[in-house]
Amino acid sequence: MKKRRLAIVLDTRKCIDCKACTVACKTENKIPLGRETYRNWVSEGPLRGEYPNLGQSYTPGQCMQCANTPCDRVCPTRATWVNDDGIVVVEDRKCIGCKYCMTACPYNARYYNEETGAVDKCTFCIQRVAVGEIPACVETCPTKVRVFGDLNDPESEVSELLARHPYRVLKPEIGTEPFLFYLM
Amino acid sequence: MPKRLKISPKWLFFSLLTCGVIAGLAAAGYVFWVGHSEAYNVTREIPWGILISTYVFFVVCCSGLCLVSSLGHVFGVTQFEQISKRAILLAIITMLVGFGTIAMEINHPIRMAIWVVLSPNFSSPIWWMGALYGGYLVILCLEFYALMKDRHGMASTLGLLGFVMAMAASSNLGGVFGLLEARPFWYGAFLPLYLILTALVSGGALLALIVYFNHRTRGLPFHEGERSFMDALGRLQALFVGLLAFFLIWKVITGLYGRPPQGYEAMMALINGPLSLPFWLFEVLLGLLVPLVFLLRRQSRTPQGVALAGGCSLIGMFFMRYDMVVAGQLVPMRVDVGEQAGTWLAYTPSVTEVVIVLGALSACLLLYSIAEQRLDLSSTHT
Amino acid sequence: MSNLFWNSLSRRRFLGVTSLAIGAAALGTKAKVMEALASSVADGTAVQSIRNVFTSCGMCVNKCGVIARVRNGVIEKLDPNPHFIKSRGMLCARGNAGLDMVYSPDRLKYPLIRTGERGSGQFRRASWDEALDLVAKNLNELAEKYTRAGTMFVSTEGFQEHFFTTFAECYGSPNTLRHPTLCLSSNIQGFSATFGTNPTPDVLNADYILMSGANRSEALLTPDSIDMITGEGGKRKIVYLDPRFTKTAAKADEWYPIKPGTDMAFILGMIHVIVTESLYDKTWVETNTVGMEQLIPHIQPYTPEWAEAECEVPATDIRRIAREFAAAAPKAVYYQGRRSSFFDNDTQMRRAMAILNVLAANWDRPGGMVPNSKVKLEGHDYLAPWYEDVPERLEKGDVAYLSNKDGSWKYFRDRVLEGTPYPVKGMMIYKQNPLVSVPNRAKTLAMMEQMEFICTIDITMNDTAWYSDVVLPESTYLERDDPIESLGGILPVVTTRNAVIPAMYESKSNLWIMQQLAKRLSGEIFESFNFTMEEYRHHQLKGKPQIAEALELKGVYYPKTTPTYGKFDGKRLKTRSGKIEIYSAKYAKKGLDPLPVYTAPEEVPQGKFRLILGRNAYFTHGTTAHNALLDDIVAENTLWLNTREAKRMGLKHGQMVRVKSPLAEEQLRLQVTQKIRPDCVYLSHGYGVLNKKQQLLQGKGGSDAALVEDKVEPISGNVAMHQTFVEISAA
Repeated sequence: MKKRRLAIVLDTRKCIDCKACTVACKTENKIPLGRETYRNWVSEGPLRGEYPNLGQSYTPGQCMQCANTPCDRVCPTRATWVNDDGIVVVEDRKCIGCKYCMTACPYNARYYNEETGAVDKCTFCIQRVAVGEIPACVETCPTKVRVFGDLNDPESEVSELLARHPYRVLKPEIGTEPFLFYLM
Repeated sequence: MPKRLKISPKWLFFSLLTCGVIAGLAAAGYVFWVGHSEAYNVTREIPWGILISTYVFFVVCCSGLCLVSSLGHVFGVTQFEQISKRAILLAIITMLVGFGTIAMEINHPIRMAIWVVLSPNFSSPIWWMGALYGGYLVILCLEFYALMKDRHGMASTLGLLGFVMAMAASSNLGGVFGLLEARPFWYGAFLPLYLILTALVSGGALLALIVYFNHRTRGLPFHEGERSFMDALGRLQALFVGLLAFFLIWKVITGLYGRPPQGYEAMMALINGPLSLPFWLFEVLLGLLVPLVFLLRRQSRTPQGVALAGGCSLIGMFFMRYDMVVAGQLVPMRVDVGEQAGTWLAYTPSVTEVVIVLGALSACLLLYSIAEQRLDLSSTHT
Repeated sequence: MSNLFWNSLSRRRFLGVTSLAIGAAALGTKAKVMEALASSVADGTAVQSIRNVFTSCGMCVNKCGVIARVRNGVIEKLDPNPHFIKSRGMLCARGNAGLDMVYSPDRLKYPLIRTGERGSGQFRRASWDEALDLVAKNLNELAEKYTRAGTMFVSTEGFQEHFFTTFAECYGSPNTLRHPTLCLSSNIQGFSATFGTNPTPDVLNADYILMSGANRSEALLTPDSIDMITGEGGKRKIVYLDPRFTKTAAKADEWYPIKPGTDMAFILGMIHVIVTESLYDKTWVETNTVGMEQLIPHIQPYTPEWAEAECEVPATDIRRIAREFAAAAPKAVYYQGRRSSFFDNDTQMRRAMAILNVLAANWDRPGGMVPNSKVKLEGHDYLAPWYEDVPERLEKGDVAYLSNKDGSWKYFRDRVLEGTPYPVKGMMIYKQNPLVSVPNRAKTLAMMEQMEFICTIDITMNDTAWYSDVVLPESTYLERDDPIESLGGILPVVTTRNAVIPAMYESKSNLWIMQQLAKRLSGEIFESFNFTMEEYRHHQLKGKPQIAEALELKGVYYPKTTPTYGKFDGKRLKTRSGKIEIYSAKYAKKGLDPLPVYTAPEEVPQGKFRLILGRNAYFTHGTTAHNALLDDIVAENTLWLNTREAKRMGLKHGQMVRVKSPLAEEQLRLQVTQKIRPDCVYLSHGYGVLNKKQQLLQGKGGSDAALVEDKVEPISGNVAMHQTFVEISAA
C-alpha cells in the first residue's frame, strides 16, 4: 500500500468561532474536562482597527503534524513519533511526563492528560481514520472550514485545493514544515 | 529554679533543616495524593516552572564544584586541593537533590528509568542530560571514594574525566533549552556556553562558602595559606562574575536590539515585566553587582568578603535560573484571546512548588552538614 | 513504527478502533438502531456492544440530525447525521455537548416534593405514585376552587410539548403560556400581516443579504448560519446592523453599529430611495401587491438624510445600500431574523422589513423570501372534554393579536398579579424556565409566590424547579422515543428521536407523565392519551411508508433536495386581499398604523447605558449554561462596555461591576471592548441563577431577567427587552 501523507486544509474565512470542533474533539477523544485540556482550538485573532471600523479573524488549529518534527526530536524515550500516515502520535506508556515536547512545540498543541498519564495531542482522530472516517473536527464543522485528506494522492480534495489556491502555514520561519495549510 | 532549656545554635540549625526536609517530603506526598495538575501552577503554556529551574540550579552547582575544585588535583593548583573532598561530596549531594527535584517535576520518574534505557532517543538533549549526569554521578562517587582512600592517581584521572563530564553535562543542559527553535529567547549557542560560565560562578561561590563555614563552625582561624587561597578564589570569582556580567549585557542587548520576535518580549519580561523584580534585585544587584564590588576591592576580598560575595552570587544564581526558565515561556505561542491578548502569560509558583524547593535546599544543606559531622573531610595534605 | 504503535495502544483506545470498525461497517447498511457485537481483542473475554442510533438533537430549537454512538450502554459520542440536509450535516458545540445533559451529576433523578419554604431548596425524594397523586389532587382541588382556568400551563417547544398542551386542553385550562412572546411573535406578526405567512429567507441563493441584529454566527440557526458563510462564495454581500461587533459582524462585508431601536428608520430610508428612484419592478408590484399607492406618499418624509439623523448610518451609505439592494433584486433579501423582542415598535419595524422585501420582488423566488414547505403528517386525534363555566384566556383583549396557544407573558403575568379578571393559583411547567427567561424576575417570583401549587417537569434543578412544590424528572432527549416531527422550511424534513439509551434513574418521558396524570384525573381525559409512542408514530406515518423507511435508513426524510419556487404564483395568500399587503387593511380596521410609522426610541439618559441582550454559540437560552463541556468554553457572562467609556469611568477589564436597573442590581465581571457602541452595555443570557443546585452556575455572572424591565410591544404582545437603562459602577 502506498504511503499516505494526511493533511488538513483550512479556509479560515468560513470560521465563525462556534467551537463545535473543540467540543467534538473533547468527546471523541475522551479528553478530561477543563479549560487547559484540549487538542484543538479556535484562536480569536487580534481585533483590527478602532471602533467603529473593526475586523477580526478566527483561526482554528491543532497539532500541525509537522514533517520536521520538534516534539519527535526532543522526546527522550521516543514516546512520540511520526507514523506512516504522517500523523504525529504519542505512545502513552512510554511518556515520562517531562513535558519537553510541550516546550518544543511552537503551536502549543500539546497538553498533559492526567487521565491517560501522558502528554496528549491531536492525532487526526487516528481511531476514526483507521476505519475510513474523517476526524471529528472536520466532520462536525458547520461551515466545513477544514478539509481532510491525503496529499500523496494528487486527486484528493486537499491536493486540489493546495494546487488551486495560495496558502500559508503557521510559523514557517521555524522550519517545522507543518501539514495544516491555511488558504489565503 | 526550673532548668533552662538550652537551645544551641547547632541544634536549632539541624532542627530547622529537618523541618524543611519534612515539609518538602510532605509536599511531595501531597503531590502524589492530588496529582501534578492540582498541586502545581504550571500550565500547558508554561509546562516548566520553579522545580525545573531549581533542578538546573542544583546540577549546575554540581558541575561548577567539580570544575573549580578540579583546579586542585587535575591542574595541580595545590591551593585548591585542600577542599577537594568537600567539593566532590557537595557535588554529589547537589546532584542527588537536583535529581530529586526533577523527579518531582516529571510525571513518571520510574517509567523514565525504564524507557530511557529501552527506547533511547539520541537526538534528545534531555536523554543526553540523563546520560551525562548519570555518568558524571558515577565518576563523582568513584572520585570521592578515591579521595577518601587517598588513591591520588585514581582521583586525578577521575578528576580529569569529571572535568570533561562537567563541561559536557552543563553545556548540554544549556542545549536542552538552546536547541528549541520554538523558543527564540533560548534558542542558539548562547545558553550552552552561558551554563558553563554560570557553573564556574556557582562552583566558586560554593567553594568559598565551604571553606569559610568550615573554619567558622569549627572555630578555626584563617592562616596565611588559607587567606591567600581565599584571595585567589576571590580573584577567580571576580573574573567569572565579571565575564558573566558581560554575557548578560550582550544577552540583553541582542534581546532588545532590533526587537527580535518573541525574544524581545521575553527580554522585556525581565527588564520591565513580570520578572523584573527577580531580575533586577536578585539576578543583577545581588548576583552580579554586590559580589563584584566585594571581590574587586582589595579591602573587602577577605575570607568573609569572598564568602559573602559567594553567598550573594549563589542567591543571584538561584533567581537567574528561575528567570531563564520562566522568561523563555512567558511569550504565548499563539495569540488566543483577541482584544484582551496580553504580552505575557502568567506563572507564579504554587505553595506546594515553593515548599518542595525549600525542602530540596534544606535537604542539600542537611546532608552536607551530616556528612561534615560524620566523615573526615579534611585534606590529607595539610 | 506504526505497528508498534498499534500494539502499544492503551486498551481503551484499542477497543475504540476495533469496535468502531464494526460500528462503521454497520452504518449505512442497517436499520435505525444498528447493533454490532465485537469481542474484545485485548482480553478476549469481554463482549463489546456498539450501536449507532439515529436521533435528533435537543440542545436547541434546530433539531439537527445526530448519530449517537453507544458503547456498552454508554453514549460515547454524538456525530452529525450527514444525511440531515436541514443542518447541512453539521453538529455545533452544544450538539456535541449533549452528552453532558445525560451524564451531568446535577440532573434531576427522582420525583421531588418540597419540604421547606419555597425557594429554600428543601425537597424530599418521593415515589412517582406519591408525586403524581399529589399533582392530580392539586389539579382537582384548583379546578374546584378557581375553575379550570385557575391553573396555567407553561411550556416551550420540544418534540413532547404537544402532549403537555394537549393535557392542558383536556384538563380544561385555556391558559397555556408559551415562549413566543419572549422571542419572535412580533416578527411573525409583522411578516404574516404582509405575506399571510412568515416566509424563510433563501440565504443559500441570495446575492445580497441585509441583517438587523440577527447574529447568525452566534445565534445559530440551521441552515441559515451555514448558508450565510458557504453560499455562493464571492458574489455574496452581507450588510449587518448591530450595536455590537458580533462574530456575524466579523463575517459581514459591512457592519454598522446602528443606534438601537432605529432599524426602522434605516429601512424606511432605503424604501424612500427605492421608491423615489423607481428601483423596483413596477409590473410585479402592481400584479402581486396592494397598497403601493399609499406607500408612495407615506414614504416621502423618510429621506436617507432624515434616517441618518435617527439611526446614525450615513445617508450616503443608506442610498448606496438601497441601490445595491435593488440592483441585486430579486436575489436580495432583508433577513428578518428570529428573536425580535427588542423594542415596542417591533411589529411595525418587521412590517417595514417585509415591505422592503416586497419592493425587491423576492417573494417565492430564488434568493428571496420563500414560503415554507412542510411534510404533512397525520395529526393526533384527541377529544378534549367539555367543561362549563371555564372563562376565556386571562389576558384576552390585552393584545391586538393574541395567540390563544402562546399567550403573552407580560400581560398574563400582570393579570395574575392583579388577580383580574379571575385568580390563577396553579402552575404546571414543562421545559420552560420563566425565572431565567422572562424579564422582570421579581414579578415572576411574586407571581409564583401567590400560587397555591406549582409543578415543574424538567431535567435539571433550574431556578423554576427550585421554586416549585413538586419537581418531576423528565428523561433527556437522548433517552426517549419521541413523536415523528415535521420541520418546515425551504427544504422540509421529517425527523424523530429514538431512545439512544434507556432512561436513567427514575426519569420518564413527558408522554408517560401526562398519561399518568390523565389517568388520575379522569377516564375521559385518559382516552386522549391511551396509546403507546409506537402506536402514535405509526398513526402519524399512516399511508407514508417512504417516511418510515427513510427514517430507518437515514434517520431523516426529505421529499426534495432542491427548493421549489413560485408555488404560490397566481395563488391566493392568507391575507385579507389575498395579495401581498404593503398597506394592511387589517391593521387599519383595528386602529393600528396600516403602514409603518416611525417612532423614535427613548434617548439614553445622561450617565446611563442601554442594556442590550444576546447570546453566543455556546449556550441555548436559559437551558444549557449548566453543561460542563460548554462551561469549559464560556463559564459566565460578562458585561461588555466600550473601551472609551471604561477609560472615562476608570473601570478596568476583568473587574467586578455593579449593574443597576430600575428593578435590580446585579454584579458581574466587566469586559472592556471596542466591540460595542459607547451608549450600550451588553450581557448574555442565562446566568446569575437563584438556585443552589446547579454547581457550575453558582456565583457566576449576572441575571438579565432580574435587570430587564417588562416593556411590551402591544400588537403582538412580545416583550421589549432593549428598553432598560442601567447605571454601572465598580463593585
